[in-house]
Amino acid sequence: MIDKQFLIDFEYGIKEIYEAGKIPAPIHLSGGNEEQLIEIFEDVNKDDWVFSSWRNHYHALLHEVPADKLRIMIIRGKSMSLYSEKPKFYSSSIVGGIIPIAVGTAKAQKLNGSKNKTWCFVGDMTFETGIFYEAHKYVRNHDLQFVVEDNGLSTNTPTNKTWGGSRDIPEDIIYYKYERGYPHHGTGNWILF
Amino acid sequence: MKYKDELIRSMEWLSEKEDTIFMGQSVLYSGNAIYNTLNTLPEEKRLELPVFEEIQMGMSTGMALEGLVPISCFPRFDFLLRCMDSLVNHLDKIQEMTEYNFTPKVIIRTSIGSTSPLNGGIQHTQDYTQVMRDILNEINVVLLNEPEEIFPAFEKAYYRQGSTLLIEHGDYYNEK
Repeated sequence: MIDKQFLIDFEYGIKEIYEAGKIPAPIHLSGGNEEQLIEIFEDVNKDDWVFSSWRNHYHALLHEVPADKLRIMIIRGKSMSLYSEKPKFYSSSIVGGIIPIAVGTAKAQKLNGSKNKTWCFVGDMTFETGIFYEAHKYVRNHDLQFVVEDNGLSTNTPTNKTWGGSRDIPEDIIYYKYERGYPHHGTGNWILF
Repeated sequence: MKYKDELIRSMEWLSEKEDTIFMGQSVLYSGNAIYNTLNTLPEEKRLELPVFEEIQMGMSTGMALEGLVPISCFPRFDFLLRCMDSLVNHLDKIQEMTEYNFTPKVIIRTSIGSTSPLNGGIQHTQDYTQVMRDILNEINVVLLNEPEEIFPAFEKAYYRQGSTLLIEHGDYYNEK
């Protein structure tokens, strides 16, 4: 059973390994959105597709990718591109890159008559990109659920400030705000490798 | 057989496979040369899409992850440049990123725009074959120069693991 403390402890464990200089690649730790994600994942089925970005540890854990397997992958430098065949999980560290792929799995699920869904988790800056607009317009009648996780920042760039304001949130999107618990990447401490 | 006839033969052969689907703009409605190689196929095998190349390419990748074999059609090479992130950063890198656990099979069709009898001009007739060979690592790039090369190339694209970009010559539809 994955609860809030399990998620926090997992990331804290990764933080310690990283600060010991044992992870030879960037890490993007999650934090501050445990309760929102636990609630959302109550509706995610084990055979659904889940797509995430560079900040993906919580999504993978909540989709029941085994924690030990994830930890090993992260130590091998895969934090930014975690994946799993079963359960179906894929992540990319290019802004917006997962969106068209998620459109495709959702379309194929529909064409194949599958009851499974696709879930695509994006941040607030990705939500504002053109590719999100196009994809959202196209998939309104497909089984693709977008989840927008708004921490107000893209790396450290304030999203609303650069766009000159915010926009209305479409009703068919799951949207929540949170304050991130860790910096964009790393842990906030100087590491000697 | 002639160049265009070999393309039609290849498409008809692919359409007999249960897992294939033909997708893009003008696969179901006329509007470009590639349409004329698809219009004998069953309508239910063809998925007409809006013009959104970046999504089309990523969508092809996603559909392939779910077990389909998309034949994703981009009428001109110039238009394919509109989907470079989905093509180069994702479809072409997904095998290495997933340590060869994900090997989506997408068959990409595009064409060097014809110059005769009408010349489409500099934005519609470019040949980026070498650029693609230089930039793509996992996707096999095949230039279809002769009619007899066409069917074996599509047959190989269907049976090999991973994805293939097949480049046609628009001018050869009439010349060869």
